[in-house]
Amino acid sequence: MKKKSVLELLLGEWNTKTIVAIALGAALFGVLMNYGGITVFTNVKLTTAFLVPVVVGALFGPIPAALAAGLGNVIADTIGGWGYWWDWSIGNAVLGLLVGCLPLYGADIAKGIFKTKHAIIYVVIAVVGNALAFGLITPIFTQLFYGGELVVTFLQANAATLSNIAVLVIGGLPVLYALAARNASAQNLTKK
Amino acid sequence: MKTPLIVFDNFTFKYDAQVEPTLHDINLTLYEGEKVLILGQSGSGKSTMVHCLNGLIPYSFKGKIQGSLTIAGVDTLHTSIFQLSKIVGTVLQDSDAQFVALSVEDDVAFALENKSMPKKDMIPLVHYALNKVGMIDFLKQVPFELSGGQKQKVAVAGILHEDVKILLFDEPLASLDPVSNLRTVEMMDEMAQDGKTVIVVEHRFEDILHRKVDRVIVLEEGRIVFDGDVNRLLQEDILRKNGLREPLYVQALRMAKIDLKGLSLNQVQDVDFAHFKKQLSFLNDKHPLPPQKERLPLVEVKDVSFAYDPKKLVLKNISFKLYKGERLALVGQNGAGKSTLAKLLVGVIRPLSGSIEINGEDIKIYSIAEIANRIGYVMQNPNTMIVKHMIKEEVSLALTLRKYSADAIDKAVTEALTITGLESMSHWPINALSYGQKKRLTVASILALKPEVLILDEPTAGQDYRHYTEIMDFLNEINVSAGISFIFITHDIHLAIEYTDRALVFSDGSLIKDARIFDALSDQSILERASLTQTSLYTLAQKCGFEPERVIENFILHKGLYE
Amino acid sequence: MSRRFVINLVQGETYLQKLNGTTKLGLFLIVMVYTMMSFDLRLLLPLFILSWIGLASLKPNYKLILGLFGFIFFMNFVNIILYYAVNQDVGSSYLNGTRTVLIQFNSYWYLTIETLWYLSVRQFKMMTSFMISMVFILSITPGELASGMSGLKIPYKISTITSLAFRYIPEIFNDYETIKMSMQARGLELDKRRLNVFKRLKENLMILIPLIFTSFDRIGNIANALDLRGFGQGKSRTYYCEDPVTSRDKLFRGITILLIIFCISFMVYQNVNHFGMWFPFKI
Ligand SMILES: Nc1ncnc2c1ncn2[C@@H]1O[C@H](COP(=O)(O)OP(=O)(O)OP(=O)(O)O)[C@@H](O)[C@H]1O
Ligand SMILES: Nc1ncnc2c1ncn2[C@@H]1O[C@H](COP(=O)(O)OP(=O)(O)OP(=O)(O)O)[C@@H](O)[C@H]1O
Ligand SMILES: [Mg+2]
Ligand SMILES: [Mg+2]
Repeated sequence: MKKKSVLELLLGEWNTKTIVAIALGAALFGVLMNYGGITVFTNVKLTTAFLVPVVVGALFGPIPAALAAGLGNVIADTIGGWGYWWDWSIGNAVLGLLVGCLPLYGADIAKGIFKTKHAIIYVVIAVVGNALAFGLITPIFTQLFYGGELVVTFLQANAATLSNIAVLVIGGLPVLYALAARNASAQNLTKK
Repeated sequence: MKTPLIVFDNFTFKYDAQVEPTLHDINLTLYEGEKVLILGQSGSGKSTMVHCLNGLIPYSFKGKIQGSLTIAGVDTLHTSIFQLSKIVGTVLQDSDAQFVALSVEDDVAFALENKSMPKKDMIPLVHYALNKVGMIDFLKQVPFELSGGQKQKVAVAGILHEDVKILLFDEPLASLDPVSNLRTVEMMDEMAQDGKTVIVVEHRFEDILHRKVDRVIVLEEGRIVFDGDVNRLLQEDILRKNGLREPLYVQALRMAKIDLKGLSLNQVQDVDFAHFKKQLSFLNDKHPLPPQKERLPLVEVKDVSFAYDPKKLVLKNISFKLYKGERLALVGQNGAGKSTLAKLLVGVIRPLSGSIEINGEDIKIYSIAEIANRIGYVMQNPNTMIVKHMIKEEVSLALTLRKYSADAIDKAVTEALTITGLESMSHWPINALSYGQKKRLTVASILALKPEVLILDEPTAGQDYRHYTEIMDFLNEINVSAGISFIFITHDIHLAIEYTDRALVFSDGSLIKDARIFDALSDQSILERASLTQTSLYTLAQKCGFEPERVIENFILHKGLYE
Repeated sequence: MSRRFVINLVQGETYLQKLNGTTKLGLFLIVMVYTMMSFDLRLLLPLFILSWIGLASLKPNYKLILGLFGFIFFMNFVNIILYYAVNQDVGSSYLNGTRTVLIQFNSYWYLTIETLWYLSVRQFKMMTSFMISMVFILSITPGELASGMSGLKIPYKISTITSLAFRYIPEIFNDYETIKMSMQARGLELDKRRLNVFKRLKENLMILIPLIFTSFDRIGNIANALDLRGFGQGKSRTYYCEDPVTSRDKLFRGITILLIIFCISFMVYQNVNHFGMWFPFKI
């Protein structure tokens, strides 16, 4: 098979399945943001929603993962009715993009390939990505949109970062392993 | 002169995930305007064939194709699913997935929207289609407020207005009530009259025969084993040989050892039963009523009402008793509240008023998990019930959670899988199963628990005769040997007659009859209110001037001998 | 999980609800920009009042709205208290550096007029932002949102993502319920009366993973259903749920355009003149 270029891997394959995956991912993200978490710090939640872009990314690539997380946050705000937090949506999209990068470093969950090497890269990206998304991107936009005290924004960002890393590592790794195992088993089927 | 429309030429298809092909060497030509029925056991490749016709194979399901399939002159390998969607309209087997929009009218309009049709042109088409399927009053309804059957009607409406040549229906009747079934069959017939080619996959052969079918294809393990008209199919005894259900009236004729050669068997109306009155007279024998056994009440439902939405009661003042070892049927039209009652019985939802007791104890003090030890519930839609991804894990889940020993789990799982005919696939992931296979899997996973009462919501929907009888016979066996009680929720009247002792008839949330099934069936007003219909045995009885109830009883009695 | 959302799934009959989706979305977006750009009470106050009028016209469930309002007020209030605690002069940096002590609590804690003003305006701004979101959410349905996005020339594949997402949210709740039911029916104990909080949390996770997988397993079937009805065929699509553009819409679209012009001019003006916050108590 032809090796895919980085750009192709980044964009993922844009067919109807991808669109549905983003939609279902966003819906799930929105629901889990609302009901699947515990509040840690003012407007920061320990939420399981972040498992969603990981799965979308693993199966469909980073850009779909980013869209699922970003739109998912907007949907969460819409069904929650607590007003729109665009700064956090953007941060979430960035994090979605980064944790959704699995195909870029060779993990192919759809074919059941997820090795220790990939797991390590994934964890590193989860840590660095969080620092970037919520330590830098979100505060910049918070400042831009609503003003505020940078120290507090950073403080919140740190709390978000820590809780997200916890979810991404403790929850994300088992999900990825399970998903890979599941797809690996769906091959070469015969009746006994 | 007939024009060939669909041509399979030495067509073989293998899913990437499979080692063996699912369709082998198909050679088949279907002509314009034909009305074709595809029969075959669950897992024989019917849906796979449908997917080849609408382009999902190879577009969506990846696999290896040999030979060719040509539709309206184009090779499907060299066209797109979009091009095909202009020629072929499909109603999928899974009506939940088919509903993609946010309301009924939006969903029906979806194909038109994709053609960029202006709104003013869409409105009449949408209304026309919804009128046809009898859903015009539900225009603004959101999907999760509809029952399974109602969704299926919307799915049909979604392709009714399309200007396509070929219409594919993958088990359109599976979750419809008998009257809706007749309407659907009539509707498919009208479309065939309009010159469309209609291809139907359906296990409920007898219901399909309500209107004439031009041609029947029988699949067995991915090969065509019969291709011809209904008469020949019935005369050559193809169905029984392939584990499929024959229409009841044909079975009756066979029991009477009547030679079917030369008879016109296309539809029950065509058969001149009176001519065979003598041979059929055994169906009119009188039997003493079996003595009433002493019965102990097990579950008692007392004046229960329930509403999802406070403004609309879904169940109104329901009271009945289920006796130990009894087999009970819940029948009634789509949306009558049968599944809701099942959910109440297992404690997933709790009554708004009234109470439910097991052995005299109100279940409201028990958790769902505790009730589950006594009442098992196999849900209507297998997809929502499955939580694991390997077949074995799914069946063993309940036992694992209850901390059974590994040996005990293994034994129970193997037994449950054997009964449901899934043993040979026990190492498969669930997403490689056909719909009917999934349904059997859910039955297996609850059977493994051996509860006192088992509720089965549409156990035979999408099942072929062989698997259906195996499951039902097994249930009968444990009913007798272990005294397990059953509640069957079903639209299949004959199933209710054959395998249950008593029926509760529901209409619009009310329990309108609690009686022996024959008593319910003999009351015309009950039939109408609950959207039930008589089976073909009733027609037979009428034509011969026999007592319908006796005919059915004798029929069931003799069935065992005849097989 | 309850299935009651703030957003309506079926279109209502009030004035704002009857507007065309594109009109609503366009107006909402520009008003959002307007709120974000302004730290000026003179700009925010009229909007805040208008948003209450808009809300009243929607005949909402006030109990729900007030509950949410209180919750958001509290969250933001905690935020500004934190701002204050971290930097008592936070206001001065936004108000051209002046510093007028209003109250001196003790040798360390004090409150300046600038900080009080800044924090109050910020709180007010957040509440205004909440209010217009509320009006928007209550006046639109998911279907209109999707058709509105198309109207704003956002590619229809993106707007389809939105409407599909809303279509499947109730389905996710259903899945959650059925998975829970299915697990409980197999013996997983989740009853509040039987378990402590931690155990329940752990058991709930046993539902979450199948929930994510079930949702993703759906993708194939839904995509097939879309493909089979010609989705993605053309460059554009139409919307059945779209309301015709009325004179009412034209009025609101006019207002939207004026607002766009205003916002652009305001931002340019602000940047050229290094104009900070409006502050009436400047000495
Ligand atoms: N996506 C898939 N991947 C791998 N194998 C599949 C897939 N879909 C179906 N199969 C296999 O192909 C066989 C035929 O399946 P198909 O769905 O065509 O059966 P069917 O005749 O429609 O059965 P039913 O009446 O139960 O719907 C089954 O044994 C199934 O395991
Ligand atoms: N979760 C739900 N929320 C709201 N309404 C519901 C829900 N489930 C079912 N209903 C409504 O309750 C009524 C009874 O539904 P139920 O599923 O019990 O019908 P049913 O008799 O099982 O029908 P079918 O034969 O089509 O399966 C229907 O009108 C349906 O629209
Ligand atoms: Mg099938
Ligand atoms: Mg039902």
